[in-house]
Amino acid sequence: MADNNTFDAIVVGSGISGGWAAKELTERGLRVIMLERGFNIEHGKDYEKSNRPVWEYPHRGGRTQQMVKDYPFLKRDYPLNERNLHYWANDKDCPYTETKRFDWFRGYHLGGRSLMWGRQSYRWSEIDFTANEKDGIAIPWPIGYKDLEPWYTHVEKFAGIQGSYENLPQLPDSHFLPAMELNVVEKDVAAKIKSHYNNKRTLIIGRTAHVTGPLGHSPQRTNCQYRDMCWNGCPFGAYFSTQSSTLPAAMATGKLTVGVNSIVKEIIYDKDTKTAKGVRVIDAETNQAKEYFADIVFLCASALNSTWILMNSATDIWPGGLGSSSGELGHNVMDHHFRCGASGEVEGYDDKYYFGHRPTGFYIPRFRNIGGEKRDYLRGFGYQGGASRNGWGREVAELSIGAELKDSLSEPGGWRIGATAFGETLPYHENKITLNKNVKDKWGLPVLDFDVEFKENEKKMRVDMKADMKEMLEIAGVKNVRDYDGDNAPGMGIHEMGTARMGRDPKTSVLNGNNQVWDCKNVFVTDGACMTSASCVNPSLTYMAMTARAAAFAVDELKKMNIKKSVVTN
Amino acid sequence: MNRRELLKMVAAATGGVVIGGEFFLAGCKNPDAGVGESATFTESDIAFLDEVAETIFPKTATPGAKDAKVGQFMTVMVTDCYEEKDQKAFHEGMKKLNDACDKMHKHGFMKATPEQRKELLVAVDTERKDYQKNKTKEDPNHYFQAFKQLTILGYFTSEAGRKGATNYQPVPGKYQGDVPFRKGVDKVQTGLS
Repeated sequence: MADNNTFDAIVVGSGISGGWAAKELTERGLRVIMLERGFNIEHGKDYEKSNRPVWEYPHRGGRTQQMVKDYPFLKRDYPLNERNLHYWANDKDCPYTETKRFDWFRGYHLGGRSLMWGRQSYRWSEIDFTANEKDGIAIPWPIGYKDLEPWYTHVEKFAGIQGSYENLPQLPDSHFLPAMELNVVEKDVAAKIKSHYNNKRTLIIGRTAHVTGPLGHSPQRTNCQYRDMCWNGCPFGAYFSTQSSTLPAAMATGKLTVGVNSIVKEIIYDKDTKTAKGVRVIDAETNQAKEYFADIVFLCASALNSTWILMNSATDIWPGGLGSSSGELGHNVMDHHFRCGASGEVEGYDDKYYFGHRPTGFYIPRFRNIGGEKRDYLRGFGYQGGASRNGWGREVAELSIGAELKDSLSEPGGWRIGATAFGETLPYHENKITLNKNVKDKWGLPVLDFDVEFKENEKKMRVDMKADMKEMLEIAGVKNVRDYDGDNAPGMGIHEMGTARMGRDPKTSVLNGNNQVWDCKNVFVTDGACMTSASCVNPSLTYMAMTARAAAFAVDELKKMNIKKSVVTN
Repeated sequence: MNRRELLKMVAAATGGVVIGGEFFLAGCKNPDAGVGESATFTESDIAFLDEVAETIFPKTATPGAKDAKVGQFMTVMVTDCYEEKDQKAFHEGMKKLNDACDKMHKHGFMKATPEQRKELLVAVDTERKDYQKNKTKEDPNHYFQAFKQLTILGYFTSEAGRKGATNYQPVPGKYQGDVPFRKGVDKVQTGLS
């Protein structure tokens, strides 16, 4: 008989991956508990700032000295702001240490970073899945594009991805909702780039998880209203988040229990059956210990936190933690490197404007090192950017003060266009996280130490990232083009990947091709931790597909009694 | 590209915060004005800042800086968001401005007429431009930089400024990438954020 601590499956984490795991497992008939370390956020009701105009913020959305003092990590970039500070993890309660600088921006609440994500959604291509093997880098992926393709379709139909059909081999089309529109300048620049490079380079609308057309299965979600207020949680449910999308579906099954304020500190490993029995939890508010039991565990706690849980588990068998037998657990940390590109002024469109606050920009898919080209670095990059008219914050050099200045700034200024590249980072064994037992968090748990850096391949790639954008803008007739290579540290892309990579061989990887921990087959890791390489496209859509695929596999295995009751062999 | 736009906004908002400046102890030549004398802001400081801001952004057919309560806004930003040295520089800047007025018009800023205030700030802004052009990276910003930046930021993020001087669209409901723009008629588009 099941008691109230026993379920068919435990899902750790409630972000993009955790929400998908909960939805897929419950819809396939399992009784699931989803454990979230942070506080509850109820869709709509708890988005208390989602309709708040800028003037109701005393510092108009900026940052105070007190905030800078309280958030030594978050202060390094835009997340430290007055608008959605409550959505970012508290640096003092949840510290980490840095052998080398790593910017780790976390969301510890129901929905995780699905509430604050950039919503850019792209499929990986076969080029990405075969790159490691072709280049002889790290280890090959155990799966290919064809394994994930049906699952991309599955998650896209549900999440709602807007974009345009382009038929590009390096960036497969998704199942799209109607595309948002490029503006007049972007369209003209796109046409000039396309013709100059003979269709080899394209500028398309940035594909995002926004509702732009009918989503019959999710009547609670309505079309994007173009308010540009995504970051406070959307009361229209217009962008994909756990709260807007996967959680209502999972709740509708009647099979989901949600446990908030539940910090999973370790997996309970049973050495006799060589399986996980459940998880040990600390209540974030009362510090009380609690245990939950289930046939399978899905770790979806965000890349580095899922690995942190593994490192804390079964240490009596493996000193490095559950899944550490290959020596790869915690290694191969990846992020995308960016903040490198160009921008300039566009003349001749002074009688043109746009209407609405579009929550995406343009995207230029990867064009380097494909189709037989060979640069002096491996892999490639895509660009994200936009064209817009300057707003009231611009410098008006010819005007001093007075009514003329006010009137001038009350009109839009000239057009600008610019973009930053997002570049693929290679997996390096020596880029790693480790447990630092000398430093403890608010709950007395050891913290992570970071030892991660970008290396030569990334540095060489940045030369092209900068120069290619400059060249394309100049070819499109953009004036005063300035290129830049700005402040960029690992982690800043908020695309943490790796540390529990998938592979074909238990000697060199932590997970198999179905996201099962080689050393413990009823534990699945389906968030960024599982990534064997990084591609250059934003990773979230791939986590969705990967999670849905693994969940279907897990339920099949349970039905076949392959997991738990009799342990699967390799 | 929401994230980048937010970044731009934050950069715009913190543009005022980045001002450097070493505290320079000037002699107290104008004790009766008391401007910039206090380490914190007084009611008369707010009134002074309101008049400075109103001179930068006067009321016309559209609201002025006082309608947008820019004086009050400046004190909140300086007190909460500026580093200590920049706070000192700002207070000192108020005094410098008042002294400059005294020098030009033989009385403090509060006693000056709107025309005198404008004449003064045009001159100070010219001085600011020259200074900013020639200064090294390490030099502090000209003191008037913060007054001007905070006025622009405070005004265009206020309810009065957004609703009165811009095309405020809190819920556009759609996006159109190519609409005509009529110079002298259409305003800059703003929203909730």
